[in-house]
Amino acid sequence: MHTCKEAIELLAAYLDGELPPAQKQALEEHLGACAPCVDFVATYRQTPGLCKKALEAKMPKDLADSLSAFLRKHTAA
Amino acid sequence: MSDASDEELLRRARNNDTAAFEELVGRSRDRVFGVALRILHSEAEAAEVAQETFLSAWRSLGQLSGDQFSHWVHRIAANRALMRLRHQKVANQVEESIESPKFNARGSLIESVADWAPTAEGASLDAELRRAIEEASQSLPESARQVFLLHDVEGLDYQQISEITKDSVAALKSRLHRARLAMRAAIDRFYAEKGSEP
Ligand SMILES: [Zn+2]
Repeated sequence: MHTCKEAIELLAAYLDGELPPAQKQALEEHLGACAPCVDFVATYRQTPGLCKKALEAKMPKDLADSLSAFLRKHTAA
Repeated sequence: MSDASDEELLRRARNNDTAAFEELVGRSRDRVFGVALRILHSEAEAAEVAQETFLSAWRSLGQLSGDQFSHWVHRIAANRALMRLRHQKVANQVEESIESPKFNARGSLIESVADWAPTAEGASLDAELRRAIEEASQSLPESARQVFLLHDVEGLDYQQISEITKDSVAALKSRLHRARLAMRAAIDRFYAEKGSEP
């Protein structure tokens, strides 16, 4: 692993634990010697969680109420 | 709100207990509505998908084993929403651009990372950051946005997404990585701008 570009390309597989041992070791060596990449990895890791919080939707109350009414009507014995 | 487990509610719902079913619906409707909304961009259509999803769930409760109700309806909703999307979509082969990190000619990172304020687990998100994330997700290319929302926001795994989109898992992973890079850049820009405010 010689460049940041190569390191970042492998990040997703690395975090999924799917890198072959040799590549994993090379990536970790790069991270051990490259502060910008360490910051990058830390923020890359936080990204999905922040996005989940931001993008999770709530069903508006009027629609939730119509859903309940609809299901009551269709599930009545 | 009852304290009963999903499994217990499911068992009761199978015996035609509509109140138990309603409780299960209450627990999972935001996720069901959310996945449909993110795919279809229409509250009205997402609400229709939620109706279809829960009605079809009610009618096939017997086929579901264990306590997988929320997972199961979530998946039905994703499938239904994507089916609708395919019918709506006009062919569009334009290559869309997506933001990626900046490297120099030797492949070294040439951008510095802003100071990301930690967001505590369970804490709500800054409204401006939420808006920045929403805007960034809307400007992702459709195929990247789809895998990103289904995986990172809605929690489907690659195999499930692959069944839905018919793309290879490898293609999905690569697209997801691109999407995360673009979203990371947007969040980083948000914090950089915030940090430079007086
Ligand atoms: Zn580096």
